[in-house]
Amino acid sequence: MLSNTKPMDEHVGELLSGYIDGELTQQQRQRVEIHCGNCGKCESELSALRALRRDVSNSRLSEYGEDVWREKMDDTTVKVTRSIGWLLFLGAVLICGGIGIYAFVFESSMGTFEKLLIGAVYGGLALLFISVLRQRLIERKADKYKDVEI
Amino acid sequence: MTIMRQELTQLGGGAHALATQLLGNADDAADAVHDAFEAVLRRPQAYDSRKGPLKPWFLRVVRNRCLDMIRRRRPSAMPVEELIDPGTTPEEALGVDQRRMAIKQALAMIPAEKRELIVLRDYLDLSYAQIADVLGIAQGTVMSRLHRSRIALKEALDNDAQ
Repeated sequence: MLSNTKPMDEHVGELLSGYIDGELTQQQRQRVEIHCGNCGKCESELSALRALRRDVSNSRLSEYGEDVWREKMDDTTVKVTRSIGWLLFLGAVLICGGIGIYAFVFESSMGTFEKLLIGAVYGGLALLFISVLRQRLIERKADKYKDVEI
Repeated sequence: MTIMRQELTQLGGGAHALATQLLGNADDAADAVHDAFEAVLRRPQAYDSRKGPLKPWFLRVVRNRCLDMIRRRRPSAMPVEELIDPGTTPEEALGVDQRRMAIKQALAMIPAEKRELIVLRDYLDLSYAQIADVLGIAQGTVMSRLHRSRIALKEALDNDAQ
């Protein structure tokens, strides 16, 4: 028989949580029930923990409803499909560009000087594009106000 | 995929509640859940239904995302006070639902590791095995940790009431 002494109260302590959560073995459950039948302190603690659990369960810790998450999910789907689209597009552009450069350098009947001239024009354009793109990306990353809607 | 989307939509609110308790900010929490959605939808095959239900798995993804965000933050950027009132409704402001408000305030007063245990068990209704899985801890320690967390919350509530 369990007594109503302080050491026994402490011993049952965490079992009270397991009891209200239905996570105890049958033997542990019986032990808690017998103990609480004889110990007013543990019995009132059990009631307090039950009430606490109910209150937390009934509280509203998120103000976002399912509609919000459905919208966010759609937004996510758009982002994912857009990423895949970009990946396919850039992949195809790189392959076509590679084939074009190969054909221009090795299979064209143009003279070396003309090839170098045209290569310099396209090479210059590509460098300018990369430079602007890099600058824009750095600015975008460092811009604190990019998410501010006007 | 459609079933998974439906399930994720239903899990959004609970995941947001957990993220809010970890991050202390409802907007950051929404970002964390959104990022988790994105990660899951990008690689849905990462979830193996044979290993267990989607709920604890998704909550673990959200929790990891939150921990990443906390690591990136400066220590001073932890607006815990926002936990007290992540969207007070007029009724709450008028004191109609004082108990609900008191719970929010008391949760904000206890450490994040205690808050998340209480939210996982009492708000999201996860079993001890699922909680252990989400937190990456031994199942045998869940009951004692949870009990200490509840006692801390109860004390915070009592102190708040005085």
